[in-house]
This record gives sequence, structure tokens and C-alpha cells, in this order.
Amino acid sequence: MSSAIFPIVVLLPIVAGVLIPVLPFGNRKNMMIYIEGVVLLNAVLAVAMLVCQPEGEFVLFRFTHDLTLSLHLDGMGTVFAAIISVLWPLATLYSFEYMTHERHEKVFFTFYTVTFGITMGIALAEDVVTMYCFYEMLTLVTLPLIMHTLTREAILASRTYLYYSLGGAAFAFIGVVFILIYGTTSNFVPGGVLDLAKIGDRTNLLLLIYVLCFFGFSVKTAMWPFSAWLPKAGVAPTPVTALLHAVAVVKAGAFTVMRVTYYSFGTEFLKGTWAQTAVMIPVIFTIVYGCSRALKETHLKRRLAWSTVSNLSYILFGAVLMSPLGLVGALSHMIFHATMKICSFFCAGAVITKTGREYIHQLDGFGRKMPKVFAAFTVSGLALMGVPGLCGFISKWNLVQAAVESGNPLAYAGVAALLISALLTAIYMLTITIRAFFPGKGFDYSTISDVEDPSWMMLLPLLVFAVAMVVFGLHPEPILSRLGLIAASLR
Amino acid sequence: MGALLLLPVFLPVVAGTYLLVSLAVEKQKRKAEGGELPEPDEEARKKLHTRVLAVLVVSAVLAVVVSWSGDHSVTLFELMKGIPVYFRVDDIGRLFVTLVSIVWVLVGVYSFVYMEHEGKEQRFFGFYLIVYGVLVALCFSGNLVTLYMFYEIMTLTSMPMVLHNGSHESIMAALKYLFYSMCGAYLGLFAIFFLYRYCDTLTFTAGGTLNPELLGNNTWILLIAVFAALIGFGAKAGMFPLHAWLPTAHPVAPSPASAVLSGVIAKAGVLAIIRVVFYIVGADFIRGTWVQTAWMTLALLTVFMGSMMAFREKIFKKRLAYSTVSQVSYVLFGLSVLSPVGMTGALLHVIFHMFIKCALFLTAGTFIFRTGKTRVEELYGIGKQMPLTVWCYTFASLALIGIPPTSGFVSKWYLAQGALSANVGAFGWAGPAILLVSALLTAGYLLPVTTNGFFPGNKANPEELPRLSEPKGMLIPLAILAALTVLLGIFPNPLISFAGQIASSVL
Repeated sequence: MSSAIFPIVVLLPIVAGVLIPVLPFGNRKNMMIYIEGVVLLNAVLAVAMLVCQPEGEFVLFRFTHDLTLSLHLDGMGTVFAAIISVLWPLATLYSFEYMTHERHEKVFFTFYTVTFGITMGIALAEDVVTMYCFYEMLTLVTLPLIMHTLTREAILASRTYLYYSLGGAAFAFIGVVFILIYGTTSNFVPGGVLDLAKIGDRTNLLLLIYVLCFFGFSVKTAMWPFSAWLPKAGVAPTPVTALLHAVAVVKAGAFTVMRVTYYSFGTEFLKGTWAQTAVMIPVIFTIVYGCSRALKETHLKRRLAWSTVSNLSYILFGAVLMSPLGLVGALSHMIFHATMKICSFFCAGAVITKTGREYIHQLDGFGRKMPKVFAAFTVSGLALMGVPGLCGFISKWNLVQAAVESGNPLAYAGVAALLISALLTAIYMLTITIRAFFPGKGFDYSTISDVEDPSWMMLLPLLVFAVAMVVFGLHPEPILSRLGLIAASLR
Repeated sequence: MGALLLLPVFLPVVAGTYLLVSLAVEKQKRKAEGGELPEPDEEARKKLHTRVLAVLVVSAVLAVVVSWSGDHSVTLFELMKGIPVYFRVDDIGRLFVTLVSIVWVLVGVYSFVYMEHEGKEQRFFGFYLIVYGVLVALCFSGNLVTLYMFYEIMTLTSMPMVLHNGSHESIMAALKYLFYSMCGAYLGLFAIFFLYRYCDTLTFTAGGTLNPELLGNNTWILLIAVFAALIGFGAKAGMFPLHAWLPTAHPVAPSPASAVLSGVIAKAGVLAIIRVVFYIVGADFIRGTWVQTAWMTLALLTVFMGSMMAFREKIFKKRLAYSTVSQVSYVLFGLSVLSPVGMTGALLHVIFHMFIKCALFLTAGTFIFRTGKTRVEELYGIGKQMPLTVWCYTFASLALIGIPPTSGFVSKWYLAQGALSANVGAFGWAGPAILLVSALLTAGYLLPVTTNGFFPGNKANPEELPRLSEPKGMLIPLAILAALTVLLGIFPNPLISFAGQIASSVL
């Protein structure tokens, strides 16, 4: 397989998505088959590409002689591309049932499918400029998805999202420019590209730029103090909140942070400096902050969104430890959190489509009426808490081992933060489970007689994710050893 | 032979899961037909009880036989590279698994009668069996990560026993239990993270596996971590400051569940602490440090505080729960002095307290079952109604107070000797003094039930207190437990030498 596959997996969903409004489908079923077909085809192509690992690069476009839009595949890109190409077909399947109760389906699926290609572009970007371009495009194509319902609330939320993202991107852009000036190349190279001779005595300036760039990119991961947009964006249809706001968009943020940290600035340059401390403190704070906000929240989807805020900072925590082991922890949490959170969001979505209930206090006794959905929800809750035997424990273990190995007292504080957050996670997830399964003596089940499990299209993804959480939790070695290889290339 | 270790773990877990799943399936089927699940009739109950008893006895016999037939070990699978889920029997695991099995079978037999008035029996026995399997796994755990794994699972699977009756109060209590336990488990996990880095291996090794070279100058953080583990695993054992869940959660559970929660599951916290301190960190690492001082202080504080609270408490089961808080900290104090004699005393007290507290809670259960009385001041004249039960209660109480020749005397003797012989400064005499005061308080909160029960004075009219039948199914397990509490005090030597052998192997 040659490098020509790279533009295909990026452009196929974009082109196919744009065609959705103009193609004459006749009925809804044909459209569903077309969309699922395209997404599945692209996912299969992507997986084939990840298995074959084609070498080389593919230049899409040249701005100038050395500024190009070019794609290639490396270890970290493989991880991100694998996550999205496995999750996208499942999420699309799920959206078909979900979207029956929303309007403007064609518009929705257009942007939903295009986003697949754009995210792929971020995973495959060979250099910092390409990554930045796709990153900006991601903001723009996901904007209509947030304001899909066109309620006032949705429009305000999308506006917040736009301001935060564009503001962040502006800071990130400063970083990109400095990498271009002070780097030996714009490409991603394990260990970083900075040319120490060019920097001379401007080390502190570059560290400052790194901090700005870090904050810029981490706006998408909803790190404190830029976390407000994510819970607000929960007004979007659930497939969007589940796939984009728990996986694709927010993890694109984490992915870009890791790229600039490990592949552009380089950990050797950053480790042990004040810049590392400056970024680690807000990350550790966000871990606890996100969880405590989740605990306070009574709206089911918003609670999960705050939980995402906290969990993404787990990933960033691994990244800012700036060691190969930290990268393994960060990447493993990126994979495992994707599975856990998409599962819990899909459960929330199932509750919303089937019953219209959105608040946690309305969920009394639901466990008996929707046993399959709430079983999956419980598994995802236990996994998020980090019960051994489920995948959350594995990534936490790796993150913490990296922190302990670093010998940095601030990282020890991070370990404590992780455990506090685990406790808070137990509280905000298990109260829902207990409420659903044990509504208490004398609970009148006739008040929720309309509640039942959804159809197989919604249940199949839930089952797949629940099984995945157990399998990853009991036998993570295949994944961990691969992540270890990526990390080893950084040494 | 090693694979046989898995049988007593999986058999009850699978059987319990089967009970729960078949219950759920049956419910769904009934709902589809538009009806509710009827209350099981006498025949169905009998069938359920026979099955549960068969599974319990078979797995208990297996567990005990396998554990005493040699130091078997088996690796279930590799969780991560170098971190296997690994079972191995050693003396301490052998001791715990035997105790757990005896108690679980006896209390199981008791519940066959008792649970009639609580209802939802199939659900209760489902979880009862699962928790047994998990506890056996906990005792067989050969390394710290395996232990932690089953510790968490134990919390999650024992929680439904707490909220069994479904009242608002019991659900709140279950949540409190869950979150305190989780908090404790995470504190323990904090220590495990650091121990994994600074120890040669997390496999339990008598005397510890700490590697000073790996540790370097990180002693301060490891001390903090070990302290966190003590507090954290101490939560299950009801040690201050994470003790508050225990008096809330134990009493609201059905009485047999309270018995095993207080008698057995609280000891799981003790087991975890023994494993961390004596089999991973090594007693020498914390000897003479602030961690040892803090540990002794907290244990003694809890001993005193628990007794005081029990003394003031009027609800019978809650009083017993506070008593557990106090008594389990006797064990922790015995461990904290880090001397072989103290540890011998602690292990003996684990054994004796397990039988005593189960007997006491089962008495409380019998009172509730036959009369519905839950408060201490309602129990005037109870001895006229149920003399045999109250006699069993009295023997167990005397043992807990520590009156010779009952078992409690033996363990307290060793605990006091341990404190006096260890080089722990003022704690050497303060410890035994507090134990003594607490023993007085124990007499003060336990014996009135007996005296008022047999001699109600003018508080109750003997004419209005008919003799009540005491069901055999409840009385026999209770009598066996009460007899054990006395007999083990008269013939303690095999136990003393066995506990001493464990203590001297790690200290």
C-alpha cells in the first residue's frame, strides 16, 4: 500500500459528506445505507492503512517552497486514527435511531461525515502547519453541529464554542510561527525540532511561547480556565456530544498538545523548566475541578461533559510529565477514555430519545425498565472510577507510574489529584446507578411505565463498548506494548 | 494442585451470579406476561436454601482443604507486564480463609430462617455467595494488586446486602458505605503506586520487599504513602478518621449481613493492613517513625471512642456496630506496636472477635425476628422469653469483655503483653491502660442486656412475657459460635502457637 491512501481516507468522507444534500435518495433508508456505507468503507480503508503502515508522505498542496499541506503516518497518528475509525461507524449507526427525533437530518449528516475526514487529517498531518489547518477546519465544521437545534440556547453555545476555539487557535498559531522560525524543519520529529543554535539566549522567550501554545491548543480539551464551552455545547444532539465532545474534537486538542510537546518543542528542551510547572498546575487543578463541577451538576449530559473535562486533563497530565512513560499513560487514557465516555454518553442519549428525561433526579427506577442501557452505564461508571479489571484502571496505573518515576513533587500532587478525582467519579457515577436500580421502597413503577430499552441499533454500540472495556481491562498488553514502541522512539 | 485454588473462588461467584441472573430473567418473563413475580412458596424456598447450602458447604470444604494441603500458587493471567493476578496460600491466608468459611456457613444456615421476614431471599443469597467467593480470593491473593482488585470488588458486591430492605435510610447508608470504602481504597491505591516503584516485587514476602536502592532519598513520600494506606484500609476496619460509615451501614443491613459485615468484612481491612505493612513494606521501615506513632494514637483513640459511643447508644445493633469500631482497633493497636507478641495478640483477637461479634449480631437478629424489638430499653425481660439465646449472648459478651477463661481474655493478655514488651515509650503503658478502660466500658454496654433480660425488676411484668420458641435453625449456629468463644479460651494453645509462628516469620 502506498502513501496515496492518505488523501483518500481524508477526502473520501469530506466529498461524500458534501454530496449528501444534493444526491437524490428517495427515502430515508437509502440515505442511511449510503452514509453508513461511506463511513464503513472509509473506516475499513483506514484500518487497512493502519495495519499496512505505508511509508512516505503525500503532499496535498504547496503554499510556498517549504510550507506544504502534507500527510504521513507515524505511531501517534496511528493511535488517534485507530480510535476515530473504530468509533465513527458505531456512532453513525447509533445516530440513525437518535436523529429520528431531530429535524434537518441531511444537514446534520453532511457535517457529521465531513468531520470524520477532517479529524483523520489531524491524525495524519505530517507537519505543524498541516495540523493547524485541519485544526481550524475542525472548529468550523463542528460549529453547525452544535447549533443544530437552532434554539437560542444552542446558538449561544455555538457562539461560545467559536470564540473559545478561535481564541485558542490564535495563541496556538503564535507557537506554530515560532516553531517554523526556530525549528530545523516544520515536520514532526520525535524528540523535537528546535535548533538550539538559533535560539541562543532566548530560551525563556521560547518557553513562554510554548506555554501560550499549550494553552491555545488545550482550549479544545476544555482545560481550566477554558472549560466553560464544553458543558454548554451539550445542547447538541447526543451523537455529537458523544463522539465529538468526548472523543474526536477534545482528543484532537489533546493530540495536538502532545504533538507540539513531544514532536516540535521536544521534551528535552521543556522538562524541568518553569514552563513545565506552569502548564502542570492548571492541568492538575482541572482534574479535580472538572469532577467537582460534575458532582454539582444535575443535568445528565452536562454531568458527563464535566467528567470529560476532568478526564481529558488526565491525558494532558500524562503529556506534561514529558517522559516516554507519561506519553504511554496519556495515549492509553486517550484510547480507554474514548471507549468509556462514548458508552456513558450513548446511554444518556438512549434515555433522552426513549423518554425525554434529561435530569438525574428523574431517573429513579430506570434500571429495572432499561436494564441493558443501565448495565452498560454502570460498567462505564466503574471503568471511569478505575476499578481493577476494567480499562480505566490500566491507564490510571500507567499515568501514575510515570508520575512516580518523574520524582517531581508536583507530579506526586498530581497522583493525589487523580485519586481524589477517582473518588468524586465514584460519587457522581454510582449515585446515578443506585438511583436507577434501587429507587427505594414503595417506588411506583407505573410512573415510568413508558420507559423501555431502545432498539438494536442503539444497543449494539453499547454492547461493543462494554465488552471492549472489559477486554482492555483484563488484557491490555497488546495495546500497551504498541504504545511502548511509540514512546521508545522518543528516547 | 494450584488450579484448585480457583474452585472455591469461582464456584460461589458463578452460583451467586446464576441466582441473580435467573431471578432477573424470571422477572422479565413475568412482566412480559403482564404479571408480577409471586412471593416464593415454602417449597421454592426450601429448594433455594438447599442449593445455597450445598454450594456454601462444598466451597467452604474445598477452600479449607486446599489451603491446608500445602503452599499452592496459581497465576490467573497477566494484568499488565510484571503484574499478574496471582493466588498463593500462606499461613495468614490459611488462617483467614478458614475463619471466613466457618462463619459464612454458620451465618448462612442462620439466614435460611431469618431472611423469611426480610423477603427478596434469592437476591440476598445471590450476593451472599458472590461475596464469599470474593473474600476467599482476597485471602488467597498473592500480590498487592490482586488484593486491591478483590478488595474493590468486595466493596461493590457487599453493598447490595446493606441496602437490602430498600428503605431510604438503608440506601443512604449503602451510599455512605460505598463512598467511605472507595475513599479508603483510593488511599490504599496511592500507597500501592509508590510501593510498586520502590519495592522489588509486589508479591507478598514475609518481612517485606522494600529496596533501599530504589527508594533513594524518597523516604518522606513513602512514609506518607504508607500512612495513607493505613488510614485507607483502616476505613474498612472502622479506624478513626474514616470510621463513620460503620455505625450507619452495619445496623441497617439484615442481621446476618450485619454479622458478616462486622465480623468478617471489617477484618478484610485488617488483612490488607497486615499485607501492606508486614509483607510489602516491612515493619522495620516504619518502626520508630511518625507513622508508627500516628498509627498507635489513632488505634487507641478509636478503641476508646468506639467504646464510649457504644456505651451511649440505645439502638442495640448500632451499639454492637460501635463495639466493632472499638474492638477491631484493638487488633490494629496490637499490630501497630510491631512486636511479635503484639501481633500474636492481634491475630488471636481477629479470630475471637470474628466469632464473638457474629454471635452478638445473630442474637440481635433473633430478638428482631421474634419480637421486633430493636432498642436496648425494650429488651427488659427478654431472658424470660428466649433464655437460650440470651445465654449464648451472655457467653459471647463475657468473651468480648475478656473475663477468664473465655477467649477474649487470652487475646487481650497478649495485646497488653505486646505493648509492654515493645519499645514504644509511653504507649507501652498507655495502651494497656486504655484497653482496660475500654474493657470496663464493654462490660457496661453489653451486660445490661443480660441482667435486664433475666431480671427485669419492675420494668416489665413477667406475666406479659410469654416464652417464645427459638427456631433451631437460628439457635444452633448461634450456640456453636458462642461455644467457640468460650472453648477457644480454654484450649487456646494451638491457636497461640500458630499465630506466634506467623508473627515471628514477619518480625
